[in-house]
Amino acid sequence: MSIFGKYLTGWTFRANRPSLEVGSEIDVFISETNGSAGRAYIGDTELLVEGAGPETVEKQVRVRVTDFDETTATGEGDLVEVVGESSYSG
Amino acid sequence: MSEAGDEPTDQFTQPDSGGPTVEFYGGRGMSAFPIAFFIVWAIVQTALWRIGDTGGLIVGILVGLIVGMFFARGDWKHYANTIFEGMTQPVAVTAIVAWIWAGMFAQLLQDGGFVGGLVWLADTAGVGAALFPAITFVLAAVFTTGIGTGYGASIAFVGLFFPAGVLLGANPVLLFGAILSGAIFGDNLAPVSDTTIVSAVTQDADIGGVVASRFKYVIIAAVLAFLGYVVAGGAMDGIEVGAQAQEIFLEESDAIGLVHVISMAAVIGTAIAGRHIVEAISWGIVVAVAFNLVFGLAGLGDIVMFNAPQDAPLAGPLESLPILTIVEDPDAVGVGGSLMNGVAGFLELSILVLLIIGAAQIMIRGGAFDVLLEWSIENLATNVRNAELTMVGTAALINAIITINTAAEVAIGPYISKIGERFNLNGYRRANILDGQTAAMGYIFPWSGGVLAGYSAMQQLPDDYSWFEQSMLVTPIDVVPYVFQGWLLVAVFIVAALTGFGREYLIDRESEEVARV
Repeated sequence: MSIFGKYLTGWTFRANRPSLEVGSEIDVFISETNGSAGRAYIGDTELLVEGAGPETVEKQVRVRVTDFDETTATGEGDLVEVVGESSYSG
Repeated sequence: MSEAGDEPTDQFTQPDSGGPTVEFYGGRGMSAFPIAFFIVWAIVQTALWRIGDTGGLIVGILVGLIVGMFFARGDWKHYANTIFEGMTQPVAVTAIVAWIWAGMFAQLLQDGGFVGGLVWLADTAGVGAALFPAITFVLAAVFTTGIGTGYGASIAFVGLFFPAGVLLGANPVLLFGAILSGAIFGDNLAPVSDTTIVSAVTQDADIGGVVASRFKYVIIAAVLAFLGYVVAGGAMDGIEVGAQAQEIFLEESDAIGLVHVISMAAVIGTAIAGRHIVEAISWGIVVAVAFNLVFGLAGLGDIVMFNAPQDAPLAGPLESLPILTIVEDPDAVGVGGSLMNGVAGFLELSILVLLIIGAAQIMIRGGAFDVLLEWSIENLATNVRNAELTMVGTAALINAIITINTAAEVAIGPYISKIGERFNLNGYRRANILDGQTAAMGYIFPWSGGVLAGYSAMQQLPDDYSWFEQSMLVTPIDVVPYVFQGWLLVAVFIVAALTGFGREYLIDRESEEVARV
């Protein structure tokens, strides 16, 4: 992206519940887990991530989106891999 | 896909964070006692009793620290060591260095007739008292964006633009507010500002991208603030400077003082070129000294003067030196001149800030800081809108409490990333929310570093100008409502959180590689 483009990015009103595209791969932080599946919040959109155990909590993971319901803003996906750490160190 | 029975619900857990290292009777909240005591002392002293004495504030924080120690459990050695831990943080020393360097620089320009040049220019160009605060705001914003230190800019502009504006009839409170507003603008936006860097680094975002993405919030606030200063400048009267004094100063005002625009440009230029702020201001000092000497604006003795007693062994033979004077009065013995006067105003403030940062560290290590933030994460950040409002609120509150905003930002940075990552807000958005409040709150309240620095510079003005009376000083509490850029920046972020303006998720855009410092 050009420098000028960076200045123009984000002059918009972004939804509280963003849509996810089924089949796409997205990188998100997992906030909670029950041991076998994790949950990520993208704004108020909830994504259930199969295979995201305790080792993924507060880590950035790649998820393949398998299902998404526009009306309830909830989706499901499969864990692909852990891709990053949290910048929160405390 | 998961079975219904596997669906994560109440069993979801989060890892614990480390506990406090200093324990207090009365719980973790008691570790906020020294800071809380100081804030109450500062309000009573500066607002209710109108005593703007930095020495008094030092006593206030000392008493707070001593009384706070009696609430500490176990060996008080840990309490004492925590004070040292806070005082030796680089952020505190960075602020002090910026103050001292900027103090010398501003004094050199002042003694070199820059204020007279400004008055001449404003008079010639027909800039009236009404427009002066708005123009000061813009110039302070540009200057701060160039050099990256809002504290330094506050000192330079209070020393230079403030007396010029007062003389022209601008309202002093509004003028001080405009200077602080300009400092906020630059502190927030400058790529070389320490708060910009801290906000980017703590949120894993690149500095260039952070600056570009925050421009929208800053410029909206700035346009409104500028209009505010134009309107208020027309509505608020200045104070009466004796007509004769004004006339004499105007007559003495000379365009040649404006040569120091180049001194300021030298600072901005070297800072933009990526040099350290100490190097940048040092170049400004070198250029200013050269101009003062070459153009006869000030002599060597005006820059540094040793006032030696008559019985000093080597004073007599070297009396012909332009930097040495033999004085008869024992009280007159000492070192004077622009460099000394520029530094002198910030010595007390430096001690005060070190002690406050020590007290802030007690609050952090004692757990009061965690109590507040854990409570807000658990109870307030229930959805993305509330999470962003919580980020704005906690960042603003912590920065309002801790005098040096960079220190506050370092402390709260991890919490902002924790809340933001929970809702997958990207690094730019998190960094912008964090630094917006950090910049704003560092220049509003009487105990804020920027206000203290500006006020310290202002207290020297009666010594510098015969027409400047004590009554023309602005009491720090009075300026609070007039720091338009600060209040508007916070307001812009509240609206942005409520409406989603400027919000970006990690799935929209990821920040680029962060340049670690």
